[in-house]
Amino acid sequence: MKDRYEDENLHWIPVLITLVILLPFVIQGLTYSYKYYLFVLNIAGIYIILTVGLDLLSGYTGLISLGHAAFLAIGAYSSAILVDQFGIPFFLSMIISPLIAGLFGLVFGFPALRITGMYLGLTTMGFGFIVKRLIIALREWTHGAGGLDVSYPVIFGYTIRTDWDNYYLIYFFAVLAIVAGRRIGKSKIGRAFMAIRDSEQAAEASSVNLAKYKMLAFFISGLFAGFAGVLFAHTNHFISTDHFDMLLSIYFIIMVLVGGVSSIYGAVLGTLFIVLLDNLFVPLLEDWIHVFFNTETGDIQSLIFGLVMFLFIIFQPMGLYGMWLKMRIYWKLFPFNPRKRFT
Amino acid sequence: MKKMTGLLISILLLLTACGKQAPAPGVTDTEILIGNIQDLSGPMKELGAVLPAGSNLYFRHVNEQGGVHGRQIKMIVEDHQYNPQKAVTSAKKLIEKDQVFCLYHVIGTSPCEALRPLLAETGTPLIAPATQSGTMSDMSRPASDLIFHTDTGYDKQTRILVDHILSEDANAKIGVIYQDDDYGENVLKGAAEVEQATGTSIQKEAYQRGATDFAGQVGNLIKGGVNHVIIAGVVKEPIIVMKTAAAMGFSPQFYGTSPTMDHRVALAAGPAGEGFIAANFANLWNSDAPGAVEYRELCAKYEVPEAYMGMYHFYGFITAKVLVEGLERAGKNPTRKRLVNGLETLNKWDSGAFPPITYSSSDHAGTESVVLVQVKEGVQTVISDWVD
Repeated sequence: MKDRYEDENLHWIPVLITLVILLPFVIQGLTYSYKYYLFVLNIAGIYIILTVGLDLLSGYTGLISLGHAAFLAIGAYSSAILVDQFGIPFFLSMIISPLIAGLFGLVFGFPALRITGMYLGLTTMGFGFIVKRLIIALREWTHGAGGLDVSYPVIFGYTIRTDWDNYYLIYFFAVLAIVAGRRIGKSKIGRAFMAIRDSEQAAEASSVNLAKYKMLAFFISGLFAGFAGVLFAHTNHFISTDHFDMLLSIYFIIMVLVGGVSSIYGAVLGTLFIVLLDNLFVPLLEDWIHVFFNTETGDIQSLIFGLVMFLFIIFQPMGLYGMWLKMRIYWKLFPFNPRKRFT
Repeated sequence: MKKMTGLLISILLLLTACGKQAPAPGVTDTEILIGNIQDLSGPMKELGAVLPAGSNLYFRHVNEQGGVHGRQIKMIVEDHQYNPQKAVTSAKKLIEKDQVFCLYHVIGTSPCEALRPLLAETGTPLIAPATQSGTMSDMSRPASDLIFHTDTGYDKQTRILVDHILSEDANAKIGVIYQDDDYGENVLKGAAEVEQATGTSIQKEAYQRGATDFAGQVGNLIKGGVNHVIIAGVVKEPIIVMKTAAAMGFSPQFYGTSPTMDHRVALAAGPAGEGFIAANFANLWNSDAPGAVEYRELCAKYEVPEAYMGMYHFYGFITAKVLVEGLERAGKNPTRKRLVNGLETLNKWDSGAFPPITYSSSDHAGTESVVLVQVKEGVQTVISDWVD
């Protein structure tokens, strides 16, 4: 019998890991300001962990969430409070804080049992606001809207301080998250998620427990986002309610859509694409934007993101990962490509 | 793979061999590079263009006089959209990529707070953060030795206002309407301090940022029998609160913290806003203070458009004066450490607009006082000297 993972080409994984390990050295060799580029990559790494979880929820299960920044906030604040105020070691907090975010996911998974589509989007958006108010109200622990200083992560007695160390910490878990996400997607759970997305009635008829799996999707997604939140808090050293804006939740959805839904790799590509576009490429166009649009880059940034998403949905609904798949099939069949299909 | 590693190592060696960094980043023989992070496209974008324009007005003046110790001042402005995460990214870019000498006039409390770890890590000073939150000069926080605050904090402003009220009317019943964010947080801190010191109790009413209906808060204040109300809002809040109060037949004496010191308050509130007293951390741009006179002269000289002139443009201008004074005192071969040491020698230094500024190694608050500005017949009039 064929094993579940046999149809997947896994040879690239060691190559990818080597690339991830070597990348900082390459960047350091290329430029003095490597710390800045590492910092941008670190942001992307944290977001990758979150978008992998979001892909499982929105991509695989088809439940839209416009409140994922709130899960990030819950993970971040939980960890900051547990480590700095209750004295729990960082590595324990890496287990507890995501669980807290996951439990919040369960709670907010309840409405998802009844409502779908745009209404679920609105509900999760409301969730984002509720969490923000909650953080402000619990000022005894969170210092209200004033923000919270967070300690450096300590692992086995080693304090992680620099961008360089952060990079390896974040990408170690990002790679783990990608592998875990991919495995969940291929497992019984993942198949149940996809069955729910494609047709709830059909899934139910095939004895998929709708309530259980929908809640599970929210729980798992919360876990990933909570974990991203832990890393976010401890590598940023300062968190406030302003960090977890609603716009961030929307950017997460854009990342997943642009990358290509329900493939996990798509979420990774999309996150890298959007974060690099935002921090490295749009600034290059700054002068050009000033001259032609007579406005600030930030003003049309949301426009650019929206446009990118729009174009992808119309012309490449499979996203960046879909483009890659098409390219791969094209070269596999070359030169015997059936005409018209790949143009 | 081996080839690649070899190539990489040789590139690294080559770079370390010929890499020679300047002793202080951002300083060359002819130029000093300053980093500024504003909100150019976020919720406070109206100020985003005006504040750096005011700073550049003074820098232009200084540069035309020969610069600071022969070096021209150049300022790079980045955009953080009032998002702390973006502020850190921008600061990282300014410090690591553009190699600025110091950061200056970064706007917003949470963006400035978010910069602390980065400032501490790189040793970059932040001069005159554009926020009146008293937390900026809290010396127990990280990187506080690198941050030089110029504005009197909201906590102190609240304390000064309450003291002022109690000195006029010992039996005053005071109420505060505050925004429930970092700004309000700081106001509450000041209120708690003054409650403890004087034994009065202050009625506190919160509103959400962006609120447009204050009937509930005003109603509660009427119930509480309050006769002096401090509004810790921005521009539209004092207008709406005073109009709501007038409509409800409630006429206490209204006061406001520095963000309410805007001429639009007097314009839009009309008769309801008559007598409104606002605290401000600096002299008015159209006053007779020497700094304001110099400002108007330079505005005329460099033909600054009238739309720019005003309190925010002036704010950029006067903080630039503090920065330039610090750079002067950093000496002919400035380093970041010398800039910090130079600023710490300021002792009751008069900028012509701020209250006298004093820094020491244990206190970076700079100023302790405000002026009180009252709306009289629709015009803002300064009614006090520096009050502390």
